[in-house]
Amino acid sequence: MTVRAARLLRRLSCAICWLTLSGAALGAQAQNQLFQRALDLENASRYREAVAAWRSVIASGATAQGILGLERVFTQLGQEDSVLPPLDSALALHPADRALRGAQLRLLRSMGRESEARTAFDIWRRILSRDVAPYHDYASQLLQEGHTAAADTVLQQATTALGSVQGLTIEIAQLRAALGLWGQAAIAWREAMAAELYIESAAIYSLMPAPVAARDSVRGVLAKLPMSAPRKRTLGALELGWGAPRNAWRVLSTLTVADSAYDSWNEFAQDAERAGAWLVARDAFVAMHKQRPNASIALRAAQASINGGDAAAALPLLASAREMLQPFAIRTQVLPLQLRALSQLGRGAEAEALLATSADVEAGARKSYARLVAWAWIRGGEIERARAALAGANGDDEDEVTAWLALYDGNLAKARPGLRRPVEITAEAVTVMTFLGRTQADSSRTAGRAFLALVRGDSAQASADLERAADELPDAAPFLLALAARVHVARHQDPAAIVLWERIVTHFAAAPEAAESDLEWARALIRAKNNSGAIERLEHLLLTYPQSALLPQARRELETLRTRAAEQ
Amino acid sequence: MPRLARCPLPAPSTVAWLFVALLTVSAPAVAQHLLIPMDDAQQNHLKAYGLTFAALKTGSKAEWFLNYRGGSFLLIDEPALRRKAALDGVTIEPIDDGAVAQVRREIAAGNMDAVTLEKAPKIAIYSPPKSPPWDDAVTLALKYAGIEYTQIWDDEVLKTDIAKFDWIHLFHEDFTGQLNKLYLGFRDAPWFIEERDRDLGTAQRNGYANIPALKKAVAERLHNFVQRGGFLFAMCNATESLELAMASQNVDISGPFSDGTPMDPDADSKMDWTQTFAFQNAHLEMSSGVNALSDIDGHQVNVPARRQPLGQFTLFNFSAKFDPVASMLVQNHRNVIPDYYGVTTSFARSVLKPGVTVLANEEGTPWAKYIHGDYGKGSWTYLGGHDPEDPQHNIGAPPTDLALHANSPGYRLILNNVLFPAAKKKPLKT
Repeated sequence: MTVRAARLLRRLSCAICWLTLSGAALGAQAQNQLFQRALDLENASRYREAVAAWRSVIASGATAQGILGLERVFTQLGQEDSVLPPLDSALALHPADRALRGAQLRLLRSMGRESEARTAFDIWRRILSRDVAPYHDYASQLLQEGHTAAADTVLQQATTALGSVQGLTIEIAQLRAALGLWGQAAIAWREAMAAELYIESAAIYSLMPAPVAARDSVRGVLAKLPMSAPRKRTLGALELGWGAPRNAWRVLSTLTVADSAYDSWNEFAQDAERAGAWLVARDAFVAMHKQRPNASIALRAAQASINGGDAAAALPLLASAREMLQPFAIRTQVLPLQLRALSQLGRGAEAEALLATSADVEAGARKSYARLVAWAWIRGGEIERARAALAGANGDDEDEVTAWLALYDGNLAKARPGLRRPVEITAEAVTVMTFLGRTQADSSRTAGRAFLALVRGDSAQASADLERAADELPDAAPFLLALAARVHVARHQDPAAIVLWERIVTHFAAAPEAAESDLEWARALIRAKNNSGAIERLEHLLLTYPQSALLPQARRELETLRTRAAEQ
Repeated sequence: MPRLARCPLPAPSTVAWLFVALLTVSAPAVAQHLLIPMDDAQQNHLKAYGLTFAALKTGSKAEWFLNYRGGSFLLIDEPALRRKAALDGVTIEPIDDGAVAQVRREIAAGNMDAVTLEKAPKIAIYSPPKSPPWDDAVTLALKYAGIEYTQIWDDEVLKTDIAKFDWIHLFHEDFTGQLNKLYLGFRDAPWFIEERDRDLGTAQRNGYANIPALKKAVAERLHNFVQRGGFLFAMCNATESLELAMASQNVDISGPFSDGTPMDPDADSKMDWTQTFAFQNAHLEMSSGVNALSDIDGHQVNVPARRQPLGQFTLFNFSAKFDPVASMLVQNHRNVIPDYYGVTTSFARSVLKPGVTVLANEEGTPWAKYIHGDYGKGSWTYLGGHDPEDPQHNIGAPPTDLALHANSPGYRLILNNVLFPAAKKKPLKT
C-alpha cells in the first residue's frame, strides 16, 4: 500500500467513524422524540394515535418501552389482546428481556388466560434458569389477587430452582401473612427489613390484619433484640393500629437521634392525636420538646395532656412554653390552657389569681376565662366562690356555667336552657342532660346535691343522694337508681348495686334502664362466681326485652356461661 | 288485671269486660305452629337446627319444608320452644292453621315438599378423647346448635354396639393409620407424639400389631354400620382415608414410619374397590415422603407442586318431590359457597363410583365437593374440607367461634346431615 493510499484509507475510516457516531446520536435523539410524542399522545388520551406512535418507538429499536406503552394504551382501550402479536414478535427477538416477559405474564393473567400464563412463566424460568425475576413477578401477581396457594407453589419452585429465596423475601413474607401464619410472616418481614430498605409500609400493611390471638407472636418476633430502627417503627405503627398506643410509644421512645427519632415521633404523635390517645401523644411531644425545645410543641403536649385528663402534667409544660414566648402569645395561647388545666384540677384560687395578674386580656376573653375560674371553684366544691367568679360574666339564662350552678342548687328549671347544648359533650354533661330530659320536676335540692357530690368526687354522698332523689322524683327514679348503682360498682360495692338493679327490674320493668340493670346484675353475679344466678338474669333479659340493643351482648355472655358450666 | 283496670276506656258492662279479657288471654294461643324461616329473615341459622332438634327430642313432630324459604321448619307452638328461640336468638314466625294451609298450597305448586321429621336421631361423633391442636367442624356445629351427641373412639367402635346410633360423624381421622402423614412435619411435636402413643396403646389393648391394623379394623366396623342401615357423615381426610382403608383390608398401603414395613409395591392393583362406598380405581400415593394418600383429593393442599387454588362451589338444585334426600342435604339460603381447604378438600370426579350423587361441585373443575350415596341398608355423605369458616385452617390456628358465623351456609350443610336421619321413617325415593 502506498503512503497516499494509507492516508486515504485512514481518512475514510475517520469519516465512517464520525458518520456512525453522529448517526447514533441522531438515532437516540430521534428515538427520544418518538418516545416523547407517544407519551404526550397517551397523556392526552389520544389512544388511537398513541398506538401508532408506540409502534414507531418499537420500530426505532426501543422495544421494551414501546411494548409497555402499547400495554398501557390497549388496556385503556379494553383491547389487551392486541398487545400480544407485537409482544410475541418482540420476544422472538429478545427472548430473555425481563420487561417483555413480565408484560406477557401480566397481560395473559389480566385476560384470564391462566394456563397460557403458566406456560409463559415456565418458558421464562427455563430461559433464565438462575434468575429470580420470573418467580418474583408471578408470585407478586398471584399474591395481589389473593391466590395464596398458587403463590406458595411458585415460591416453592423458586426455592427448588434457585437454591435459596434471596430476592423473594418480601413475597414470602406476604404469602405467610396471607396464609394466616402470622409468626412466620413476622420472621420473614424481619429478615426482609434487614436486607432491604423502605419496606416498612409494606410490612405494616401486611401484618396489620393479624388477629388478636396472633399479635403476641408478631410482637415477639419484631421485638427480638437488637431491634433496628425500621423494626421499631414498624412495631410502633402496628401497635398503634391495633389499639395499643402505649405499647407503640414504649417501642418508639427507644429510637435515637441517629434513627431520625424526631420525625418518627412527630408522625406518631399526630397519629396518636387523631386516634384520641392523648396521653401517649403528650409523651411523644414531650420527648420531641426535650430533644429540640420548642414552644409550639410544648403547647401541643400541654393540650394533649389536658385532653387526656392529666392537667397536672400540663402545667410545667406551659411554664416552659411561657419562657419562650412573647407576651401576646402568652396571653392568647398559654393563658387559656393554664386556666383550663387549673380548672380541671379544681384549683380555683390559683386560677383566679392568674387571671387577675394577666394584663391586657380583652373583655370577651376575660368573660370566657371567668367561666373556667368558676369551673375550678365548682370542682373544688366552692359554689359560692364560683358564683362570685361569674359575677359580671353570666349575661343570659342560656349560659352553661350558670346552668350548672343552678343544677347544683337544685333549680332544674333554670338549669335546662343552659344545658340544652353544652359546649363540651362530656360524660357528666350527657348524664345531666338525660336526667333533665327524664324528669318534669322544676326543682330538687337532693338531686342538685347528688350531682354536686359527683363533681366533687364524693361518691358515697353521691350514691346516697341519688337514691334519695329517686324517691323524690318518680319520673326519673330508674335513671337515678341506675346512676347510683354505677357509682356503687365503681366503689366495688356490688351488693349495694344489686339492691338497686333489683328495684329497677321489679318496679320499673318498662324503663329503659331495666335491660341494662339485668345485664349489669348478671355481670356482678359472675364476678361473685354465682354463674347460675347470672344465667337466670341473662335469660330474664333475653326473654323480657327482645327488642333491647343489649341482646347480642347478653346472648354472648350467656353462651360463655353455659359453655363454662358444661365444661365443669 | 291492673292494666285493664287503668285503661281509660268508657266503662263497659261486665260481659263486655269478660269478652275483652277473654280475647286478651287467648291471643297467644291463636298461633298453633311456629315457622322457623331459613332464608335471610333468620337471625341464627345454626341454632335453628338446634331448636328443631330440641322439638324432636321432646317427642314432638316437626316438618321440613324443602326449598321453601331456604328450607324452613314447622314446629308445634309450645312455650318451651318459644323460650328457647328467644334465648338463642332464633327467628320464629307464629302461624295458625290457615297460614299453614296457605304455605302447603304454595309448596304443592312448586319444586318444594314437606318432609316429616319424626324423632331426634341418636348421634355419635368419632373423635379422640383428648382433642388434637385443631378443632372439628361437626363438634363445633353440634355444640353451638345445642344438639346432643355421644363421643366414641376406637374402643367404643370395636367393643360396643354402634348400631344403637342413627348417625355417626367421623372426625378427620386417617383410617390408613398413617396419622395424616403429619410425621413428615411434626414428628417431634409433643401433641403428635402423644397422639401416636395413644393410638399405639389402643392397638395393643385390642390385639393389633400397629396403628394401620387398628384403623383398618375400625374402618371395617364403620363399613358394617352403614351396610346394616346406619348413616355416616365424614369430612376432610376421614372421607378419603376411610375409603382407602376399606379397600385395602388385604394389602399394606401404609408407609414404613407407621407400621415398620414399606408399602406393597403392587398395592394399587390389589385394592378391593367393591368394599368402598364412593370411590373406585383411585391411585395410591406411593411415596411416603409426599403428604398425600391418593389422587382422590382434587386440591392436594399439602403437596405444593400439586396444590390447586380455592374457588367456590355450587349446590345442586334437586327436585324436592322426587329427590327428597338429596334436597334435604343441600337446603341452604345460599347456592354458591366459598371453598375451604382440608387434608382432603374435594373428590376427583374420575374416581367416583357410578350411582354416587354429587350434591355440590365447582364449575369448570374436575372435582366435586359434596357427595352422597346409599350402601347396603344405610347411606353416607362426604363433605370435603375441614372448616367452612376457616378456608386455610392451619395447624395451631385458633378455633372458629361460631357465634360470629351464626348464618354460615357451609355449616348449614353439616347440620342438614344431622337432621336428615330424623326423616328416616318417611319412604325415601332416592
